[in-house]
Amino acid sequence: MRYRSLIVSVAAALCTVAASAQAFDESKYPDWTGQWKLGPPTKWDPSKPPGRGQQAPLTPEYQAIFEDNLADQAAGGQGTDPTYICIPDGMPRAMNVVFPMEIVILPNTTYIMIEYLSMLRRIYTDGRDWPKGLEPSFMGYSIGKWIDEGATGQYNLLEVETRNMKGPRSFDPSGIPLHKDNQTVVLERIYLDKADSNILRDDITTIDHALTRPWTVTKNYRRVRNPIWIESICSEANPHVRIGKENYMMSADGYLMPAKKDQPPPDLRYFNQPKK
Amino acid sequence: MRLQLAALVSCAFVATSGAVLAHHSFAMFDQENPVELEGVVQEFKFTSPHSYILLEVKGEEGNTAVWNLEGPAPSLLARDGWSSQTLKPKDEVIITIDPLRSGAPGGSWQSRKIKFRNGQPIAVAP
Repeated sequence: MRYRSLIVSVAAALCTVAASAQAFDESKYPDWTGQWKLGPPTKWDPSKPPGRGQQAPLTPEYQAIFEDNLADQAAGGQGTDPTYICIPDGMPRAMNVVFPMEIVILPNTTYIMIEYLSMLRRIYTDGRDWPKGLEPSFMGYSIGKWIDEGATGQYNLLEVETRNMKGPRSFDPSGIPLHKDNQTVVLERIYLDKADSNILRDDITTIDHALTRPWTVTKNYRRVRNPIWIESICSEANPHVRIGKENYMMSADGYLMPAKKDQPPPDLRYFNQPKK
Repeated sequence: MRLQLAALVSCAFVATSGAVLAHHSFAMFDQENPVELEGVVQEFKFTSPHSYILLEVKGEEGNTAVWNLEGPAPSLLARDGWSSQTLKPKDEVIITIDPLRSGAPGGSWQSRKIKFRNGQPIAVAP
């Protein structure tokens, strides 16, 4: 009797899987398999030099924050780049794809798995609306829509909107800041190059209160077939330490080293102080 | 701590070279004043988010300092043919680094700027 009920359960499960498989017509979706690499240098707009050369359309308030950040970095600090202590890139910076990404297309969700920091994006394509009361996250909440541009009979464009991010975030290592209110909206158009199916393009438009206008850049990722994948866990051996507002580095023998010239040691007020 | 350097190399160096491989700002490392170190590998850490070489370097006065040298992530090194076994303790190497601005024994390095002391290149993927 017990075996009979097990057989019925397994059969029911298989029927469910078969039904799902029938519902997902792979031929309707583009072939985005393999590994997608962007490669260095890591900067937000690939078409422009890093730092000030990016010509980020920042408001005067956030341009001043960016300049202070550059001055701090020039002295050996980290400015407004939070990632040195393993805070993830978040969106939109994750699409710098420091290390390669893989895209898995399923009927209701497209997953973007980024090797760097093991970051995962879920893009819901099941027609849902924005959820209410959801806690913000670095990667945000993404809703996408498949489009068959040119009525080819196959989807060839994924439009994505991402909201509900948390901070701190910056666009790239030069510290170009996003607004502290975290009201960022990121719009993407992801598609294969028409002349070369081994190039994936992502037109990314960022709308943010730190910017005077929407900022659009295009990332061009190159496909690698039969790739290797490497685990990337940021906390494994990160020697960079933030104490108060200062960043330090661990020495070979496990002690704190200054990162900046003439940097003061950390405040030890909660430790027993040697008597003078 | 004063830098104990085997040699000082040219300052004519592309300032952004270290940053291009970095996930975070590498401004703490002085990319405009690289230095060449000659030393013995104490440990090679093939770890994330960066690899590390702990390098024993003898100073001019005979004292030894162990430098903590931050390098590319395994994600980059592995694609250049490196593995956790590429460098072993007691290997003697010559390496050009961007030193910490503070003068403490730390810095950053790249795979194309290191070789064995006998001049042998360190193996990379074909």
